[in-house]
Amino acid sequence: MDKLPLEGIRVTDFTAIWAGAHITQWLGVMGADVIKIESNLRPDGTRVSWRPGRNPNSTITAEFACLNYGKKACTLNMTLPKARELAKELIAVSDVVAENFGGAVMDRWGMGYADLVKIKPDIIMYSGSGFGRTGPYKELPAFAGIVESFGGLLSLNGYPGGEPSPMCTRGFADILAADHGTFAILAALYHRSRTGHGQYIDLSMSQVVTAVIPEAVIDYTMNGRVRGPQGNHDSTMAPHGCYRCRGDDEWVTIAVSGDDDWRAFCDAIGNPEWTADARFRDGVNRRRNQDELDRLVQEWTRNHTHHEATEKLQRAGVMAVATVNVAQGVRDRHLNARGFFKDMDYPGEGNLRLAGMPWRLSDVPDGNYQRPPALGEHNDYVFKELLKMSDEEIARLQEEEVIY
Amino acid sequence: MSSKALDGLKVVEWSEFVSGPYCGKLLADLGAEVVKVEKPGVGDRARSYGPFPDDIPHPEKSGLFLYLNTNKLGVTLNVRNARGAGVFQELVKWADVVVENQPLADVEELGLGWEKLRSLNPRLVMTSITPFGQSGPYRDYTACDLNVFHSSGLAFVNPSDGVDDAEQQPPLKGPLHLGDLTAGLTASIATMSAVFAGDLAGEGQHVDVSEQEALASIMRREFAVHTMEGIEWTRPKGSMPGLTTSDIYRCSDGLVYLACGQDRMWDGWIDAMGNPEWAFTELFQDRVSRRENWDAVKALIEEWTMERTREEVADAADARRVPCRPLNTVEDVVHSKLMAARDYFEEVDHREAGQVTLPGAPYILSRTPWNIGRPAPLLGEHNEEVYCSRLGYTREDLGRLRADGAI
Repeated sequence: MDKLPLEGIRVTDFTAIWAGAHITQWLGVMGADVIKIESNLRPDGTRVSWRPGRNPNSTITAEFACLNYGKKACTLNMTLPKARELAKELIAVSDVVAENFGGAVMDRWGMGYADLVKIKPDIIMYSGSGFGRTGPYKELPAFAGIVESFGGLLSLNGYPGGEPSPMCTRGFADILAADHGTFAILAALYHRSRTGHGQYIDLSMSQVVTAVIPEAVIDYTMNGRVRGPQGNHDSTMAPHGCYRCRGDDEWVTIAVSGDDDWRAFCDAIGNPEWTADARFRDGVNRRRNQDELDRLVQEWTRNHTHHEATEKLQRAGVMAVATVNVAQGVRDRHLNARGFFKDMDYPGEGNLRLAGMPWRLSDVPDGNYQRPPALGEHNDYVFKELLKMSDEEIARLQEEEVIY
Repeated sequence: MSSKALDGLKVVEWSEFVSGPYCGKLLADLGAEVVKVEKPGVGDRARSYGPFPDDIPHPEKSGLFLYLNTNKLGVTLNVRNARGAGVFQELVKWADVVVENQPLADVEELGLGWEKLRSLNPRLVMTSITPFGQSGPYRDYTACDLNVFHSSGLAFVNPSDGVDDAEQQPPLKGPLHLGDLTAGLTASIATMSAVFAGDLAGEGQHVDVSEQEALASIMRREFAVHTMEGIEWTRPKGSMPGLTTSDIYRCSDGLVYLACGQDRMWDGWIDAMGNPEWAFTELFQDRVSRRENWDAVKALIEEWTMERTREEVADAADARRVPCRPLNTVEDVVHSKLMAARDYFEEVDHREAGQVTLPGAPYILSRTPWNIGRPAPLLGEHNEEVYCSRLGYTREDLGRLRADGAI
């Protein structure tokens, strides 16, 4: 196959920041023609966000780059009626419209779903928001931390017995929401290809968050139990933790499931005396005494590097893998052997090395990893090629700050 | 009855525990016909995981299983039995998609890898979900959610504000089975893309999902800031780059999460607190200095929030469009007004487990509703329906297969 699966699908993309941008990134990499709409008045927030690094003159931020490759970009000043008309013309030749505004901005522009079906009857419109486009919080702004908090996820994140903690990367719930949203759009495209009907998708990030903590939710609805943070522990396995290794801030994770694994683990670490202790004789006892067990396991890991411990235990069939930090992740020999990181040449910046998408099909070419677009870089493509406008007309609209 | 988005898509889920079953659930809840294949006798490992009513283990009452397997047909099949393997081949010929998360070595040993399945059904999409994917030096590693979460880099930046004692406090996995769920979710996207590719080309595809990559994808900002800006991450509190004053704050009756990092939101938040004098001193004039004086800022904000309830704090923030919500426990979420207004939680009547309340739809599709038409299957509940009505075996065949230990 020489075609990407979404070739021929066009997306008019009003999304920004994380949750929306990652969806259209998925669609773009899988071959859709994604047209990101911004303006000089309202560039995607990540274009101008935090730039901590050594190169204050760079024209592109890391945050924008890692979320926006595989797309084209045009500028339309949507505060003006004429720009909204042009956007509608673009939608008329699109298959999907995506937005994640903090409120009903599309409705206020006269571009809600009911309006869009008049322009393109089989359009698929995607709306992503913190709390859904209906209900008491439909106008509330949200970030990942807010919906992780509201949806119950943060109440479970932290060390055992400790306070809830803010979670991992700043956009965890954004990416989870984007992945669910991408799947929903693909399902809607499937339905359209079979029936000819488009539809409206209303994704609520907080509903996504609660959907990924089912054990805790059901333990409450079944037993009235309210769980808190469990750290690296598990409700069935022990040892099940992250242990200090020899190097500086180096750690390895080990999980032992059942008595066969336990014997393999004990053999692999040379059967020190404590492994025969009655306190660790079966799963129930290992769980009951796991703090002491963790301490003893760490006596062994402390004498190994995280990769040594991994190799030794994996050879014995024990679930053990090194913890990696950010720099080690970028150099990770497995991720790199699989080509996870993609190199893209960006004018004036040289090579950008960015995380690719977790997407591999056996018989289609690698995805569309076209470098992230500059603001308005594809205005000619959009206004001349797609909307068939003349140079004079485009110049006039630029003058009027419609294309701006 | 309205149609569903994935009506007509036939899926065999040769998977257990969390990742493959979540992929199957996402497909099934939007209308795909998903046949779940379980080992006779014990079934899916999630059946023994829980939570169970009153903590009494029962293979038909595990909350995790009941959630992950809604809308599926359940069959038992021993693929290691010669006749069972024959039945599996019939399932493969019937299906559009096979989703499997078996250990790589088992799939190879059984001779049920992609080349074999493709030879049985050239239009098949086969999705394989493993901890580290089908290629590369770690492909044969055995690993669970804990290990893979830590292998992605995510655990290193959790908690996101760092730790007080980096010697004693290890990097931290995300709650529950977030890693396995993310792998299943990623598989659902890749699977649908392969279905589209099949529509175009008339042939199937092998989809290779690595849980490590699914999680590393979530780290994309940290990776990019490292490669493009040369920033190193370390774990001691306050050392993480790019932090803002978005954080968890104490109130009189619990915690809230408040995002007041950006200047507009900071201004709104200061207004919500009645513009206290301290906020206008030089120390707090921009986000960099606020961040540098973080302990002081947080203590001053908490002086105000501690005298108010979570709702009062959230209302004050809402009035100025400052993002803020209570930090809810699962109990709070289940009873939240928003979730009720959105009709989120699903009451399911299960033959053995009785009435169970489950998390519901992540999204609402206007034309093709998400719904739970069928609770999770009992072990082998649909053997006859699938083997006889779908594959054309007779009841006598079924008796023989049962006697042989194949089903």
